[in-house]
Amino acid sequence: MTARSTAVPADAAQLTVLTGFLREFGSAVALDAAHVQTFELALEEIFMNIVMHGSQPGSTPLVEVSLQRAAESVTMTVEDNGPEFDPLSLPPPDVTAGLADRPVGGLGVFLVRKMMDTVSYARISGRNQLRMSKRLDG
Amino acid sequence: MNLRIEEIGDVSCVAPVGRLDFDAAPGFQEALERVFSGAGKTPAAVIIDGTGLEYVSSAGLRAFLLAARSAQRAGISFALCALQPAVREVFELSGFSRIIPVHADRASALAQAQQGRA
Repeated sequence: MTARSTAVPADAAQLTVLTGFLREFGSAVALDAAHVQTFELALEEIFMNIVMHGSQPGSTPLVEVSLQRAAESVTMTVEDNGPEFDPLSLPPPDVTAGLADRPVGGLGVFLVRKMMDTVSYARISGRNQLRMSKRLDG
Repeated sequence: MNLRIEEIGDVSCVAPVGRLDFDAAPGFQEALERVFSGAGKTPAAVIIDGTGLEYVSSAGLRAFLLAARSAQRAGISFALCALQPAVREVFELSGFSRIIPVHADRASALAQAQQGRA
């Protein structure tokens, strides 16, 4: 098992730092490019949600990202000390709606749920914790 | 992200190269709006060639959705082609491949655009 973590303020400019951290982890644990990209997408969606919805006047949450490689899976945990928010409580978008009726938002978390094998949310000690795992078979 | 824009008759082919993430999406959408309004004349069709498009997040999907609506309002046919597997997956999971036509390659997208006008 290999694990690494890092923390950044919930500021959009920090996403490139997190993506760099993820790619370094990916090469350290010999993750293929397709899996790295799946986690990059999940990281962008979840981190940008925190950036857009987690800040209150005068306070920027701190976001901690942990990556864990086990024999057959990779788990990414994203924690923040912002206001309690469970992204999994959002209703899924209607992916069958036509061009005119398609809502413009709400797709990010939906994509994460579709691309990961398990996604779970917990509120622990004043922190939001979102944990995402993907099996590496196939 | 970079954009290569090519005019083929009255069809504009737009080839984005790189990542269409939250950072790149607004600029991409503005660039498409400029293509729709045309420098002098409005194109009959706009094709997005995805050969060099490596990554699309929900912010990128949003740009495609808004662009497709603008194209529809302007009477311009709008389609994608040659998507990389990871990008195609995002289009399929989100159901976007049902609301924006996705062709296997540029030749079939061009053929479809020309047929649409025949």
